[in-house]
Amino acid sequence: MNDTPVSKILVLDNNPLHASLIKQFCDDHRLVAHKVRKGSEMSVLRTNIDLGGVLFSEDYGDSPEDTARIALEIHGARPELPIIIRRETQETLSGLPEGTQRACCAAYVATDMGALSKVIEEYIFCLMYPNALLRGVAEIAQVVLDAQFKNLVITMDTPYIVHDRMIFGELFSLIPLESAWCRGYMMLQCEEDALLELVDRGDAPDSAENFRGVNDLLSEITNLMWGAFKNRYIGDHGISSGAQAQIPLIVNHKHKYISFGTVNPQLCFRFTLKDPMTGHSSTLYARFIFNLNWSPEDFKEITHDVAEFFDAGELELL
Amino acid sequence: MAQVLIVDDSSTVRDEVSTCLKNGGLTVVTAVDGKDGLVKLKADPGIKLVVCDVNMPNMDGLTMVEKIRGELGNKSVNLIMLTTESSPNMKERGKAAGVKGWIVKPFKGSAVMETFKKLVA
Repeated sequence: MNDTPVSKILVLDNNPLHASLIKQFCDDHRLVAHKVRKGSEMSVLRTNIDLGGVLFSEDYGDSPEDTARIALEIHGARPELPIIIRRETQETLSGLPEGTQRACCAAYVATDMGALSKVIEEYIFCLMYPNALLRGVAEIAQVVLDAQFKNLVITMDTPYIVHDRMIFGELFSLIPLESAWCRGYMMLQCEEDALLELVDRGDAPDSAENFRGVNDLLSEITNLMWGAFKNRYIGDHGISSGAQAQIPLIVNHKHKYISFGTVNPQLCFRFTLKDPMTGHSSTLYARFIFNLNWSPEDFKEITHDVAEFFDAGELELL
Repeated sequence: MAQVLIVDDSSTVRDEVSTCLKNGGLTVVTAVDGKDGLVKLKADPGIKLVVCDVNMPNMDGLTMVEKIRGELGNKSVNLIMLTTESSPNMKERGKAAGVKGWIVKPFKGSAVMETFKKLVA
């Protein structure tokens, strides 16, 4: 697995003079670019719910007003996504129509891509995640999913950074993560029908025959991943949440939106569960949102020996 | 009369462990949390082994096993924890309450079936 997280971005820049420059920049800066045909921005936004940001351009619209309209439309739909605009001569937002200034967070020019690097670090990769954490979560998830779906093939994308707050699928679980170095949540998301289709064939415990069964299955996967995370990264050094600050979470069902009350990006793992016999597949997202505390300088791994986790299931006499 | 009481809030785990133990020839009853577990144990004097999760609503598993030894005064039933937890502090607390064994999930029936059979014999 690649230990360095990537981030998916929309590229709304049709200027052919800069296409190769932007592509090279994305390749060099862990950005997975999604080029979007003009006029299809909103439909692409509807089908991509795990984005890190938008690379926009001053001349994307037919006029400055049209560019502002598109920027505002995107910003209205996904206010959490940083929109970074390419300008011809000026590295600031000043002089742009008011709407464009409101929608965009930063500007850059093609002659100074170094400045864009800093903007990307500031707005997209603004939290640092230890490689041991990325690797460990991937290992934990793989073991848990392999145990729950014995006849399915489980694959994982490179972990990536997400600013989007859209909910994937109809079913998600949340569980708090509390330690001296992090406080937040783990959230698992999936599509009910796709998962039902896989488990109905008997590739998972029998209880997963209906939506309550799938609820319970996701709950148990969450429980197993949470327990392994605690054992590996928190141990007995967890903190009591009694006197700790809390902030409300907001879930908007109409817009399939969830806010954890922070602009911090989320660490996302995407798994594909595939039945090799039928070709049916289902996607599972695991997101880590450290909205209450993130102190990676205090991060430590308790279980250095991965084999310890693979001994799960053995009886230890006390 | 059942030989084994499985206590877990997850129906996925209850089903998985029950099926495995029944296939191994054991008789099983299940409970959904610690409170339910105490009720089921009191109602069935044939139970020789309790396999219990730690993190459950209403009453957690460690509290339940402490009550089995304390409030119920049942000193003979064998207690095994089946949980995602593996913290030394929790294991110490379990041991103090008379827990005999600790299994970190996920459950692998083949690894424990012979021991379970001895514990209910």
